[in-house]
Amino acid sequence: MKSVASWSAEEVSRWLAEEGMPEYSESGVRLSGRELLQLTEADFQGPPLMLVSSDSGRRLLEKVETLKIEHHIEAHKNGHANGHAVAMGDGHDRGAGGEAKRNGAINGFHKEREMVRISIPEPKRSSFPMEWGKTGLSFLYAVCCFVSTTVIISIVHERVPPKEESPPLPDKFFDIFNRVEWAFSICEINGMLLVGLWLLQWTLLKYRSIVGRRFFFIVGTLYLYRCVTMYVTTLPVPGMHFKCSPKLFGDWEAQMRRVMKMIAGGGLSITGSHTMCGDYLYSGHTVMLTLTYLFIKEYSPKRFWWYHCICWTLSAVGIFCILLAHDHYTVDVVVAYYITTRLFWWYHTLANQQVLKETSQNNPFSRVWWYRLFQYFEENVQGVVPRNYQLPFSLQAVAWSRVRYSRIDSE
Amino acid sequence: MASPELLVERDSADTRLDMRVEEGHGELPNGAPCAGHGAAGEDGGKRSHRKCIRKPRDYIKISVPDGRSSQLPLEWWKTGIAFVYAVFNLVLTTVMITVVHERVPDKEENPPLPDKFFDYIDRVKWAFSVTEINGMVLVGIWFVQWLFLRYKAIVGRRYFFLMGTLYLYRCITMYITTLPVPGMHMTCAPKLYGDSQAKVHRILQLISGGGLSITGSHLMCGDFLYSGHTVMLTLTYLFIKEYSPRSFWWYHLMCWLLSAVGVVCILVAHEHYSVDVVVAYFITSRLFWWYHTMANVQTLRGCPNNYLTNTWWNPVFNFFERNVQTQVPCVFCWPITWPPACFKNSCKKYSMVQSIREE
Repeated sequence: MKSVASWSAEEVSRWLAEEGMPEYSESGVRLSGRELLQLTEADFQGPPLMLVSSDSGRRLLEKVETLKIEHHIEAHKNGHANGHAVAMGDGHDRGAGGEAKRNGAINGFHKEREMVRISIPEPKRSSFPMEWGKTGLSFLYAVCCFVSTTVIISIVHERVPPKEESPPLPDKFFDIFNRVEWAFSICEINGMLLVGLWLLQWTLLKYRSIVGRRFFFIVGTLYLYRCVTMYVTTLPVPGMHFKCSPKLFGDWEAQMRRVMKMIAGGGLSITGSHTMCGDYLYSGHTVMLTLTYLFIKEYSPKRFWWYHCICWTLSAVGIFCILLAHDHYTVDVVVAYYITTRLFWWYHTLANQQVLKETSQNNPFSRVWWYRLFQYFEENVQGVVPRNYQLPFSLQAVAWSRVRYSRIDSE
Repeated sequence: MASPELLVERDSADTRLDMRVEEGHGELPNGAPCAGHGAAGEDGGKRSHRKCIRKPRDYIKISVPDGRSSQLPLEWWKTGIAFVYAVFNLVLTTVMITVVHERVPDKEENPPLPDKFFDYIDRVKWAFSVTEINGMVLVGIWFVQWLFLRYKAIVGRRYFFLMGTLYLYRCITMYITTLPVPGMHMTCAPKLYGDSQAKVHRILQLISGGGLSITGSHLMCGDFLYSGHTVMLTLTYLFIKEYSPRSFWWYHLMCWLLSAVGVVCILVAHEHYSVDVVVAYFITSRLFWWYHTMANVQTLRGCPNNYLTNTWWNPVFNFFERNVQTQVPCVFCWPITWPPACFKNSCKKYSMVQSIREE
């Protein structure tokens, strides 16, 4: 095959037609082989090539480069074929475009000596990157939601009608079951046990940053919804046994102190921090019990059925005890359970399916208000997070024997 | 040397092969004589039947698949079941309202609960009529739109199922805890302690009036959590938007305005608490999106990590949507003529065997 530089206009034209670019050959523009090799992008900025080409000659230029490579291989077949082959059949993992190829090949061209640059492929990015930054953000979001919930409880407390004026509303469960005094402590102990178990399990997970991020986000959103429902309508106390702390009309300092006390006590009655009334719709205790159970079940091995059973029992008994203690209306518990389970399943389905991570008309889930936040958190997580376990401070993490390889062994 | 008929058949086989390839099915073409047919099977039960012509000549009947219509079978009987389900739930709701009415505390005993919206906006008397008129207009528009849809059966089924489920949830939340009346202006009908016949009479009155106050049928109190009016307004708007062309933005805007104004007027009229409206909107929109995601995103079906199937109504969903294999396209046609006359699809009927030789 004679070199491209000595091609005539007809041969160029034939080559163009073969390569699927008849618009150039039929346009009447005559190019010799040498002119073809010397084409640059600037030539496509003015007539006549500008009128013929639809993509500023990008395709043609790429094909010319390929042509050059092929001819270079032909010309230097004996000595450098291997080197070029490696440079061309390149290590770049990018599937698109000939740019990577071209770069590798062109680099191979430029070194006249026997050195050939071999591009080492980039290490494959993990499908489950840690991204502790995002987890931190998610934690901040949850903390914000908790604090605003506490503030709202404090505000709503001022508006709760006194029990004499607004007696407890009729409730089917309360009609059937009488109040048991110590039941609420059981509920709170169960809650603390479940949260403790979940924390332990979480420290043992390998992908704890991803899972932690999800937990904080879901908990934060649930408490945010709770703020809204608590605030708009205030339900009266569910039972005459309630002792609500006195109202502090406009005394901001005392209210702040009350808010701090509640946060410090974790919002539990057992710690004595929760003496405020009005946070009935919907029940935060149910949210925590349900959510920790769902997370425990989701991120533990399937064969630990006894473990799941225990946690389920803790959760169910806890919820039942809330009602038995007449501490929440039945509708509070039902709505809380519904919203928690739906949000959990919704989020995890979205996270596990790649197709749902794109906003499109076919993806009704993308219309939810927190979708952009979700995309930000989960965009780099590819696929289902596997249930792998790892000690938090493992000895293997310490690299005590590490050999560094340099890219090129130069003698 | 191929005879003309064989040539024709082979071409048809090729075309059929092309059609198969386009649809992404990996079935083998069946140009073979009697013995080879039936291999690819009656999956789904909706594939065309392979009949073998027993003519001793070289005629082979090649069944042309129906294409899109086999992916969206109408199945009116399922729509009928969904309708019965919805009616049952509506009746159940009515019964529940009557039962709950007996338990509503008196206004004097349990004054209206503090509500943020009521603090800011005072009651406007005629606002509730606006809500109900908007509701009736929206339902009317939706009905007309539904008549013109090509795949009415599928869409109707979805509408009835969602409405029925939402009213079922409403039954539960109404029953377990009874909220007091939201305003002193509400006049509740007197309680009928144990008088079953009068109760039944009341139920029938409520059903016949469609549950609307404007028809004078709704004199009962206690059905506050959550708001049925919000459910109807929101659900109808969501359906209108989903099953109409995307370019009709003015139409969507108009319906959205009707819906939003209706919902706001419920609160302005002090007929429901704000939490009733908020919870109703939340549950309606989530259920609608959940159902449609399950129905439209085909990759979710049979996927093990699909938590959307954890709901209690998943078997019912599978029953309704099992044979619907693609997203319902937005195709309209005249309501009274049969589908072949749809102006979107010009369905010309091809005769199955073109005989060239007259013998």
